[in-house]
Amino acid sequence: MSSEADASKADRPRAFSARVRLAGSTIARVGGLLIAVIIIMTLFAAASDGRFLSFNNLLGLLRYMSTVAIVGLGLTLVIVVGEIDLSFASVYGFSAMVVAVSWILWGVPIYVAIPLGLLAAVLVGAFNGFFTTIVGIPSFIATLGSSTLVFGFTILISNTASFNPTYPPTGREIDPSQLDFFTGLSNQSLPLGFPMQALWMLGAAMIFAFLLGRSVFGFRLKAIGGNPQAARLARLPVRRYKIVAFVLCSTMAALAAILDFAFIGSTQVNAGQSLLFPVFAAVIIGGASLAGGRGTVVGTLGGALLLAVLANGLALISAGAFAQQMLLGTVTIAAVVLDRFTQKLR
Amino acid sequence: MSGNGAAGAADGSVSGVRITDLHKRYGDTLALDGLTLSARPGEVLGIAGPNGAGKSTMIKVLAGEVTADSGAILIDDVDWSPAIGASRVAIVHQEPQVFPNLTVADNLLVGRERRRFMRHGLNDDERRLMEDLAIADVADQRLESLPLAVQQRTEIARALAQDARVFLFDEPNSALTEDESDDLFRRMRRLADAGRVVILVSHRLAELVAQCDRVAIILDGRCRTELRGDGLTQDAIARELVVGRTQRAAASAVARREGGSAGASLVLSGWTHQQGEFRDIELDIRTGEIVALVGVEGSGARELVRSIAGFEKGSGRIEVAGRQGSRAVAAGTGFVAADRQESLFSNLSVGENIVSRLSGEITSFLGALRRARMAQLAAKFRDSFSVRVHNLAQPIRSLSGGNQQKVALAAAIIKRPEVLVLEEPTRGVDVASKAEIYTLMREYASDHHAIVMFCTEVPEVYEAADRAHVVSDGRLSPPLFVAQYGDVESLASDITRLERHGMVEALAMTAAPD
Repeated sequence: MSSEADASKADRPRAFSARVRLAGSTIARVGGLLIAVIIIMTLFAAASDGRFLSFNNLLGLLRYMSTVAIVGLGLTLVIVVGEIDLSFASVYGFSAMVVAVSWILWGVPIYVAIPLGLLAAVLVGAFNGFFTTIVGIPSFIATLGSSTLVFGFTILISNTASFNPTYPPTGREIDPSQLDFFTGLSNQSLPLGFPMQALWMLGAAMIFAFLLGRSVFGFRLKAIGGNPQAARLARLPVRRYKIVAFVLCSTMAALAAILDFAFIGSTQVNAGQSLLFPVFAAVIIGGASLAGGRGTVVGTLGGALLLAVLANGLALISAGAFAQQMLLGTVTIAAVVLDRFTQKLR
Repeated sequence: MSGNGAAGAADGSVSGVRITDLHKRYGDTLALDGLTLSARPGEVLGIAGPNGAGKSTMIKVLAGEVTADSGAILIDDVDWSPAIGASRVAIVHQEPQVFPNLTVADNLLVGRERRRFMRHGLNDDERRLMEDLAIADVADQRLESLPLAVQQRTEIARALAQDARVFLFDEPNSALTEDESDDLFRRMRRLADAGRVVILVSHRLAELVAQCDRVAIILDGRCRTELRGDGLTQDAIARELVVGRTQRAAASAVARREGGSAGASLVLSGWTHQQGEFRDIELDIRTGEIVALVGVEGSGARELVRSIAGFEKGSGRIEVAGRQGSRAVAAGTGFVAADRQESLFSNLSVGENIVSRLSGEITSFLGALRRARMAQLAAKFRDSFSVRVHNLAQPIRSLSGGNQQKVALAAAIIKRPEVLVLEEPTRGVDVASKAEIYTLMREYASDHHAIVMFCTEVPEVYEAADRAHVVSDGRLSPPLFVAQYGDVESLASDITRLERHGMVEALAMTAAPD
């Protein structure tokens, strides 16, 4: 479909048009997602006597999707460059725990504890990137290993305890102003009750949309993911870009973890472990290809929204836990099958 | 050499393989254009042809990987297709198609297990077969731990166990030592003597002459001619391969250089490959020159060319535009691989491919892409490279091979490297695009740059290069100056001679003219 549309614009002088083509496929994908979301929302609205469409519920949906979306943004980069990261779920729990332990147990001010948590994630990302690009083992293996390794560290530093800054362990004091700052990260009261985390998500999405769609970084990321061998022979900085992608992926997992920690008020050893599948599903539903070279920010946001709508709607109509799992699996496979099909049509 | 192989197969006999009027089209290109060939049992039929002539398509049809559009293949006068008799035809590649994780014996058995779920031993026939092929001693070893030659013999044994009728050897010895390849050819001859049909596809003219009873020359998807008996010489094959392909394009009529300008662009000294594919190379290329390094697969020519761009490791002295070391190589050279799978990004548009190697030129603050600038640059190079495309946004795959190759070249030249390093710059490209590519290369060289290219085809050397060196067995021949040749056939003869005799005669030969 895109080539015909392009041909008509052939002689417009500034139609460089990579944009035209990419926009074409993105519109198809995002349009399809939007239609799916609208249909599902209508069904839920009918099934829940309109509760689903209440203003508060819709805002809750935005908050609910933001964790998956923020982590998904980072994962999108890794997928686009043709690698895989299985460690972000463990990184999520680890960096939240680094913040919790250093702040609550060791008495490090929160303004230092948060950078520490982010730094921990950067190190894990650099570790993943090092073993994938320089040592040369497949990222599937490297990140599977680092995932477990990092989980071990989480257990080590937390000693399997849970942490809640409002109720610190006996003998520890939390400065109230620091606590206010921390909870404020996710709990500012915004006009109309707009969730703070959704604001973070939108900010991150804008930065990532620029990175992936409008910067030379994203352009080369796509080239490297599309054909790593050609990228090497063209002397593109393959290793450096892959390492940066891994680091950004881990960092986004840490950001989401810290925001969730601030919102929920506590963290424990296995925090984030259940994120692995939904985040992958969101990115894949959003049109990223595991083969590399393809993926968009808008798609990933759409994928996260679709998952949030499903989870929230099913909960509202009390469909039971089994329904959510079954639908999640079905939607993921269906999205990829549909993608195959539309690719062939093109 | 033996002309007595035609055991019991008088001319006109119907047994053996007969390929009639085979056609195969890929998009715009006609890979097979009425190929007609016959091979009789008891003889070794050689097949020679330049890249893109249709050899590999023919092999793929026989291997069942590709279906021909029309035409017939008869084996022993019975219609054959891969669906009904895949095991009748055995293809022996340079890379054996075996199961490296299994033992030699298991390789022989796999796919023909007589009883399900139960392991079983070899029967007498199979054991004899393994002894014949000298693989009985290693029957219990895993194939991946054994040399390539053993893997190939296992592949042959596998085919014999399945009672294959036709054996097609596709450049089987490019990675073998001399002894191993002699052994392979002896076995090949024995297969023919046993009444099987044997076909050898090779680039090495000496082998074709030594091993085959008959050599068919394939050009443009057809069998152009057959050489046999006294007519079968290396020189004759070399001439047939280039005949009719030599209308020197207008552009290449530009005065050839014999020395280039004063500035040395690239200097190699004592340049030696880390894995030993080439040794002690001395080479000096000046700006404005196009130099061809010619060699068959396995000669070291490809590795040498890649090493100049820094994609194979070499030791010794390398100097690009007056600066030494790997940084100078990275900054001063641009490389385009022969295989477009290695030079283009299929998920990017035509325009994006053209500018894919740029960074500073197409970005502003914070690395933001300047789309208008990208479009402008891409359009400029599209025009100067006459890439025929409706719109720069088209997917790169929608272009013909020739246009894709022009995009690949544009992507490298846009960075204006001091030394442009090309690998078979017109492989799989139509004739018109070839001429255009040669013109582009000439223009770029004339603009104070140097070009080194790896070539396997003499016409390409004749049309594009100023100077050629033959690489054989990892050594560089003295230069052949293309301007001194009035016709491509004589250039082909000299190149063949250098490939055949290596350096000894070469030294004697070039002492005379220059």
